[in-house]
Amino acid sequence: MTEERRDLVFSSPPDDVDAVHAFLETVWAANPGIAEFERMAFETALIELASNVIQHAAGDTGVTCVLTVSADESGLSASLTDTADAGGIVLMNREMPDELAESGRGIALIQALVDELRYERLDERNVWTISRATPPPE
Amino acid sequence: MEFQTESIGDDVAVIRGEGRLNMVSGPTLREAAKRAIDGGRPRLVLDLAPIPFMDSSGLGAIISCLKSAREAGGDLRIVSPSSQVAMVLKLSNVDKILPAYDSAEAAYRD
Repeated sequence: MTEERRDLVFSSPPDDVDAVHAFLETVWAANPGIAEFERMAFETALIELASNVIQHAAGDTGVTCVLTVSADESGLSASLTDTADAGGIVLMNREMPDELAESGRGIALIQALVDELRYERLDERNVWTISRATPPPE
Repeated sequence: MEFQTESIGDDVAVIRGEGRLNMVSGPTLREAAKRAIDGGRPRLVLDLAPIPFMDSSGLGAIISCLKSAREAGGDLRIVSPSSQVAMVLKLSNVDKILPAYDSAEAAYRD
């Protein structure tokens, strides 16, 4: 597998997570060697992240995001940069809420699905990074 | 995304919709469940087979429907989740309270 890097710029409103799903389809089409479970786990984590960013910016004037996804032999990674104010989302070590909770699972799900989840505030932008390593062959 | 409801017996409603279950479609699912419950069918079956992808907002909508059904003396049971939906249910531990059935007919056989 050669390294593959793709970018998507989207703004919400009017875009929503469907733009991210459609973009990921082009990434998967260009990287047919990625195992189905890896695609599924990474897509679930990235959609949770994008949903969180879109949802927390919904009350303001909207948000513009730049998403970069990279795929290579070592695994999958994504960087999502958004224009929302700082501090909208609290990241660290969220426990999975109880079974009957109706919300609060997003960050816990991301943590369960990726090896790295990082947040930085850079040049008045929020920068989110997730990465998932390819599991060693069985 | 639209949900269709099909009736089985006196009080079971099978709810089915094709597409992703997320923050956009979750409220539509809640409305479909409310209509079934208000119409006297509090025993809900949610057919997950046509849902290739679900996020935590979608899962929250399912839990909300489950609670509404139980408050009305019924329940909610799920059928045929796709592999992604089954993964989210398992990671959230919701698979413990919502085991998957093979068919709508099997969901209330007990």
